[in-house]
Amino acid sequence: MKRGTILWSWFWMILGILYFFLPLLATFIFSLKAELGHFGFKAYENVFTDPKFQTSFPASVIWAVLTIIVGILLFVPTAYLVRLRLPQARATIELITLVPFVVPAIVYVFGLVGTYSHPPLLIVDSPALLVAGYTVLSMPYMYRAIDTGLRAIDVRTLTEAAQSLGANWGTILFRVILPNIRVSILSGAFLSFAIVMGEYTLAQYLAKPAFAPYIALLIQNKAYEPAAATIISFALIWACMGIIQVVGGGEQGQVAGGH
Amino acid sequence: MAYLSLSSISKQFANAYAVQDFNLDIDKGEFISFLGPSGCGKTTTLRMVAGFEIPTSGTINLDGKDITNKAPNQRNVGMIFQAYALFPNMTVTQNIGFGLRIRKEPEAAIKERVQEMISLIHLEKHADKYPYQLSGGQQQRVSLARALAIRPDVLLLDEPLSALDAKIRISLRAEIRAIQKRLGITAIFVTHDQEEALSISDRIVVMNEGNMEQVGTPFEIYNFPKTQFVANFVGSLNNAEAEVVDPANGILSMDGVHFKTADAEMANRSKGDKIRISIRPERFSFAVEPLKDNVVDCIIENITFLGSVVRIQISIGKTKFNMDTFNNPFLDLPAIGAKEKVMCSKEAVLVLESA
Repeated sequence: MKRGTILWSWFWMILGILYFFLPLLATFIFSLKAELGHFGFKAYENVFTDPKFQTSFPASVIWAVLTIIVGILLFVPTAYLVRLRLPQARATIELITLVPFVVPAIVYVFGLVGTYSHPPLLIVDSPALLVAGYTVLSMPYMYRAIDTGLRAIDVRTLTEAAQSLGANWGTILFRVILPNIRVSILSGAFLSFAIVMGEYTLAQYLAKPAFAPYIALLIQNKAYEPAAATIISFALIWACMGIIQVVGGGEQGQVAGGH
Repeated sequence: MAYLSLSSISKQFANAYAVQDFNLDIDKGEFISFLGPSGCGKTTTLRMVAGFEIPTSGTINLDGKDITNKAPNQRNVGMIFQAYALFPNMTVTQNIGFGLRIRKEPEAAIKERVQEMISLIHLEKHADKYPYQLSGGQQQRVSLARALAIRPDVLLLDEPLSALDAKIRISLRAEIRAIQKRLGITAIFVTHDQEEALSISDRIVVMNEGNMEQVGTPFEIYNFPKTQFVANFVGSLNNAEAEVVDPANGILSMDGVHFKTADAEMANRSKGDKIRISIRPERFSFAVEPLKDNVVDCIIENITFLGSVVRIQISIGKTKFNMDTFNNPFLDLPAIGAKEKVMCSKEAVLVLESA
């Protein structure tokens, strides 16, 4: 490669890194200035000891975990059956999974409120509606991660091999298919986790405690704490990504080599 | 009564028949090969026996029981796939024990059976390895052991050797046949490789466009093909047009050169009929016995070395034929363009269908 090309590559890469990291660095530095005259973690201390944080953060974690469970139960069998029995429906299903990218969350939440605030479907106060909403919002990430995992294994042949050995559908799904797409499920799960932790509109308009509305509230009332909460949120997402890398790295060879 | 019986089996996909009116009785312990080109319906037939496809019409009976509509996991049929289909998340031991665990057999019995199977395929040193740590041949042996571990009523092999290299393919097919004979298990083997089918089978079913062309032992299929398709598909074949001269004595003429045939089909022909004759390349030899039935003049057109065999292209009249002879270092081959006499027995001249 020519020297000039290498220099340009480095230039654009450094520019990209600065574009993404400078605001984050600025936010981090700003979050350390809560105490006059010196840098410190006072803002972080304030966030962690705030009762609203102690309510909203665990609530969001619970919503995220429930969303992941519902997503796995819903999307794994769907993606599996589409690959196995309805390959002609794949394009349609993929299009449906993209709907959350097209319909704004605010439109979606008003649709939910309008539909489920009248009998016989009066469930607008139920946390189930919030989890269902999060499941839809995380669908593009969860479904596609699972579908990519299924693409990496020979679903049809593995299913038929298991059937010929006497396995029923439950056994095939839980003992043959799921273990072989574990990394993909994990990847979809962490992406869903990140989505739920950062999602504002649904929780705000369905009036449920959540981390994103808490940050929004902080922004309205405090100076340094919102920056600290943002950094906490980023750290959490990066930790999730790190776990995907660590867990995923060890599994890839095993799955890829198996067929 | 046949152990496995396929009666009037048909399978239709959309408007096309993949298999049509297929009838076959298989005895217990028999090794049957389905042989044919891609799309001939051999794999579809196998999949109907496995339960992965339900026949559009017809019945499948196994050991006196109708299994036509039984789910695949209720049939006790072992299957080996071209792509091995080992479970990537399980070791060799776990893969082989999978079917036994599904059947909830006692742990001690599973352990014993798995050990027995691992010994059978000589992979004792690889018992704790994952599929990706094994070669293709080793993976297919594990697949065989996994299918046999459940003591299946029938073993189905769907082109199990196609993905392997030539040497492994030959050694593994011998191993499969030896194990099948030792266990006395009924097996159906799908292949498009005629050499594989000829070398491994008790009987071969040659299929074409969803239909059964011929069923017979490898010897019958190769030496007495009943149709032009079988004759062409199994082994190499010379085809030529000829005219019936004397049907009672089996005399026919090809470009004025007279040939004699022993084919019973001649009884159905009349003098002057145009027919198509077929002669296997190895049935020709250089004439050293002048009193043989068909001794004819030829010109040597080309000579090709194929390892153990030398293929010589000759022209008899205006028609070109291939002639195969075994190679040996002292073979005295004629020069290209030389005039020679070649011969073939009257039994070697097959009359298959009208020209």
